[in-house]
Amino acid sequence: MEKAQREQLFWALMAELAEKGYRDASVEGPMAAAGVSTAEFEAEFKDKDACLFAAYDHMTELALNTATSDCESGREWPERLRDGLKKLLEAIAAEPELARAMTRSFPGIRPATYECYVELLARFLPYMEEGRKYSGVDEELPGEVELLAVGAAEAIIFSEVDAGRAERLPQMMPEILFSVLVPFMGPDRAADEMRSASAAL
Amino acid sequence: MSYKKDLSHYQAIPWPSLGPLTIDTGVLSVGDRDRLLAAMAECCSRHGYGETTIVAVTERAGLGRASFDSHFESKEDCAVAALNKIVSETLAAVSTAPTADGEGERRVLQIRAILELMSAQPSFAHLVYIEARQGGTKRMRDTYQSAAHVLALMMERLGGNGEQPPARAARAALGGAEAVMRRELALGNTGAVPVLLPDFVYAALVPFVGQREALRQSRLARQLLAEEG
Repeated sequence: MEKAQREQLFWALMAELAEKGYRDASVEGPMAAAGVSTAEFEAEFKDKDACLFAAYDHMTELALNTATSDCESGREWPERLRDGLKKLLEAIAAEPELARAMTRSFPGIRPATYECYVELLARFLPYMEEGRKYSGVDEELPGEVELLAVGAAEAIIFSEVDAGRAERLPQMMPEILFSVLVPFMGPDRAADEMRSASAAL
Repeated sequence: MSYKKDLSHYQAIPWPSLGPLTIDTGVLSVGDRDRLLAAMAECCSRHGYGETTIVAVTERAGLGRASFDSHFESKEDCAVAALNKIVSETLAAVSTAPTADGEGERRVLQIRAILELMSAQPSFAHLVYIEARQGGTKRMRDTYQSAAHVLALMMERLGGNGEQPPARAARAALGGAEAVMRRELALGNTGAVPVLLPDFVYAALVPFVGQREALRQSRLARQLLAEEG
């Protein structure tokens, strides 16, 4: 299977999952859409579940790359965070059904798939660690402050995606940024960053 | 100020462990219902709502299908009843938490009550935090959302007269704490949930009372845990 075919298969399968749900989703349609034969499919995946897990892992990687592609630049952490969040929200707004598959359809299948969702959130935690430096109170911050920040953003994103309002997310970026920053910086500094982000919009 | 002064009045709500059924069905129908609710929560936490069947629930409860049908119209009906049970107990635990010297201190004890409840009933915690939100039906989602809305409103009341945080700040702060809870549930670390009290206190308070006060309350929560060993 070519790399482009595999990627097309993953996208089509996630779309199938979002549209039909786990029980009714099949691999035949996505295979046809990607031009993948049964032999090619079976050479890489044991069954539908194996392909679903691989597709979810691939999409997780894409989401992470989207949000963090500029993280290594020399700019300040809040600015990089703002830009990464903006890109992620725009990507979610552009693919609301994929977002629904990523946040509900796949994680809700069974506990093992939910663990992948936990892992998805955990993949963002290293990019939050720099926030401790900006807090000025690093030693006093709770041990879970990174997940508190990621979970705050996830709560708003999940709520909008689930309500079919993913297209609103880019406009909500400053508010989401506030909720990510507030555990590190407190409400006053987080509000300053929110206002700057609003002005930039 | 000490958190300990009123703790003698506080008791986590007990939940009977599921064992082999020995009672006569029909005589203790309330007990049967509770067994079915507990079995539903347990099956969902092990297999997910989608892959949970009524047969699996009745087998786990040690009851027959007739008993299930006498209490619930469907699998969803049973799951929603189980959700309502844990939501009611959560709100009861919050409202009956011991009194304290200040509003912030009272919030610490309320959060503590929630964490202890969830730690004591991990299957129900899984049902409300994971299945109802991401694995269940619309009725289950609505039940979860209503409960989360109530908790978020309670958090918003912590705000003073200064600059108000954005509209969804409380829901986001709650979401942060829930993400930690869900990770622990997914990993099966529910026994450690009460130890997260300082983190949850900080998350709930920081958007509304400022970082300095939130850190102070978090330290006091840590002290409370240390004093209790």
